[in-house]
Amino acid sequence: MNRHLVLVVAAALSAACSATESKPEARRDPPFVFPHSPHVEGDVDCLECHASITKAKALENRVRHVQLPKKSETCSGCHDAVPKLQIPPRTRDAGLNFNHAAHLDRLKGEKNACVRCHTALPEQKGTQYDAPSMNACTSCHNHAKDFAAARCLGCHQDLKRYEKPVESFKHQGEFLKLHGGLARGGAESCASCHEQTFCADCHSATTVPGKPSFVYPEDVKRDFIHRGDYQSRHVMDVQANPASCRKCHGSAFCTTCHEQQNLVQPPGSTTLPRNLHPIGWGTDKTSGNFHGDAARQNIVSCAGCHDQGAASLCVQCHQVGGFAGVSPHPKSWKKTDADRSKNSMCAACHH
Amino acid sequence: MVTSARLAASALLLATTVAARADVVEGSSTTMISAGQQLRGTEAGQLPDLVKVATVFEMIRVSAREVRNPLFQDLEISFSGWGSGDLQDVRWDAGTTGKLTGDVTTAYVRGTLAKGTVQLRAGREFVAAGAGRMLQLDGGDVFLRLPAGFTVSAFGGVPVAQRFSSRDTTRSWNPAGGDLAWGGRIGWNMALAGVAGRGLDLGVSLVNVSNDSDPVRQDLGVDFRLQPINLLTFVGNATYSLYAERLAEFNVTALISATRALTLNLDVRHYSPDLFLAANSILSVFTDTNRTDYGGGIRYQFTKAVNASLDYHLLIEPGKVVDTTETGGEGVARVEWSSSGAVAGGEVAYLKTGDTGYTSLRGYGRKTFGKLFVAGDLTDVLFKQDVNGQGSSLVGSLSGGYQLARSLSLVVAGRAGVTPYYEQQADFMVKLVYNSVVRVREVK
Repeated sequence: MNRHLVLVVAAALSAACSATESKPEARRDPPFVFPHSPHVEGDVDCLECHASITKAKALENRVRHVQLPKKSETCSGCHDAVPKLQIPPRTRDAGLNFNHAAHLDRLKGEKNACVRCHTALPEQKGTQYDAPSMNACTSCHNHAKDFAAARCLGCHQDLKRYEKPVESFKHQGEFLKLHGGLARGGAESCASCHEQTFCADCHSATTVPGKPSFVYPEDVKRDFIHRGDYQSRHVMDVQANPASCRKCHGSAFCTTCHEQQNLVQPPGSTTLPRNLHPIGWGTDKTSGNFHGDAARQNIVSCAGCHDQGAASLCVQCHQVGGFAGVSPHPKSWKKTDADRSKNSMCAACHH
Repeated sequence: MVTSARLAASALLLATTVAARADVVEGSSTTMISAGQQLRGTEAGQLPDLVKVATVFEMIRVSAREVRNPLFQDLEISFSGWGSGDLQDVRWDAGTTGKLTGDVTTAYVRGTLAKGTVQLRAGREFVAAGAGRMLQLDGGDVFLRLPAGFTVSAFGGVPVAQRFSSRDTTRSWNPAGGDLAWGGRIGWNMALAGVAGRGLDLGVSLVNVSNDSDPVRQDLGVDFRLQPINLLTFVGNATYSLYAERLAEFNVTALISATRALTLNLDVRHYSPDLFLAANSILSVFTDTNRTDYGGGIRYQFTKAVNASLDYHLLIEPGKVVDTTETGGEGVARVEWSSSGAVAGGEVAYLKTGDTGYTSLRGYGRKTFGKLFVAGDLTDVLFKQDVNGQGSSLVGSLSGGYQLARSLSLVVAGRAGVTPYYEQQADFMVKLVYNSVVRVREVK
């Protein structure tokens, strides 16, 4: 198996290398060279320089829609000569489906209509461009239903590119407590932003290399489960909320460690396991330590060591005709004889 | 097993090829060395052995989005996996007895059709919808968005086993285990215009897992989310075991966003622990006890930099005598301060269950200095009953990192402490992290 897993890792490395070497990273944007604010204040129409935007039906890649006028009365009102500016290339990817032409068509006749959305314009030496916020869209468009149903891809090409969700989807307050319940009904909404590799950090107990706080010790702020000395606390946590453990961990996960601590006898081993159970555990129902009472209180704790199918320790006494001599099933047990003949688990005791 | 590994390798090689045509490619590689000591139990009456464990890990993530293809919109290929080599003793959670091991965490292809109304995914994935309980699966799923607010999803496959080594429920680390899983969810949502998020979501789901034809899970689930007004949200779900013919769990939470700074939540949780064991486990037939928790929490954002929260639940547990109950409790109080490049916080956690429990105190902080960061946390746990003859545990960690290059960072971390099982404990870790995001589509 290991030979093949090495192959898997090698292939993954190959994938990572090809992904990073085959294409250069997007360059940092150079500083802006045009002072927008004095021109807006001077009532210069945006279209004097951005004329082609009126025909732009999409935010096309590699198209900037900037053309400074070569000779213009607008410029000569303030400038003796039209300044020769070298417009630097931008590398920003908008990631939106947006039709400038349709929007400007509706705003025909309105002077500097662009400013209705483009409230913050870039200035000289600035490197950050403040694109119109989503409020600019929702001030006219009522997307409440799309928003509620997380139908975002009509406008957004991809939500994963955003470092943080938009304001109304920000995971603030008690989101961590709620996220499981919300995902039950809206997993596809989660997938709009998050790949499952993100979920796997915490939810893939079967296949990850270690618990999250082991892999990311520097992320002290995140609410990782099982931080610190969990070895000493886990017995208490499984008593407080046994179902929580079983949502991620099968019995064999617990047994893996318990065998190494010699609490469970590994298959084929001749070393007797250490017995942590108190006096009276086996048969003394009056001791206050009887195993049947403990099992009724928290059967999941038993499963941490004694869940080996038909080979489980319980079967030795509780099988029909066995030493225990009484039915171990609770009052609510409803299975019929027909079920027993078909089910290998039942057959372990009901021969 | 071998077939699975070959399939995974083939999928990765395919991903490599396809990534070259993707518009957004993200890659991450983490090389990590950790060293420390672990316990190995010996015969009764003897002290356990301490063994040295030193492991080299390589963790890889690659995802390619907007992969150009003639069929799907927004085609996405995602992979995460890891390999490791134990240089000395094999660590306790290696999953094999060999020193070289590794696993595929997620590996799937996802695409949408018909303007996002059809979504298909295949590979190693999770089932989160309905009663899925984040079932990790080698298989596929389909999601359909139908008219009038209806949605339908369905999945099928094999529950994931660690290191491709066991599908059997009694040997798999996956709580479902088994060799076949299938199910789905039918949902309906009614969005109410006016406030983002306002509306009603309802769902009915089914999860069926079997192992060699024996039932492992046969669960029918219902879930809902109701936000009648902006400041009030109810979220709830219930799962009924069709096999045991009993309620496995129900959870209801009311979240009240009283102001922008103040949120409150009230919860009720009820569950039967035996129905979270695999139905083909011998232990699943011995008990039918229930547990119920009632509680709530409050969170207040004092300033932009400071927030505090308090959470408490009363635990109603089965008593030592049949048909009686005992009460316990769990709570967490936390205060956190954060500012640009710095965070500091403290929390007190409390647990009382049966005759045992603990109180833990934790402090943590992180500060960034340009390309350098330092982070640390310290946790002290005071046990209600001695653990291995000791009444407390104290563990702390200190981490530091430096951004070597634009996408390359080095992290060094150490952990030390005194616990009931270790008179002195120290672990050390060095991590080299490479992250890269490549966007092919650019606006110039």
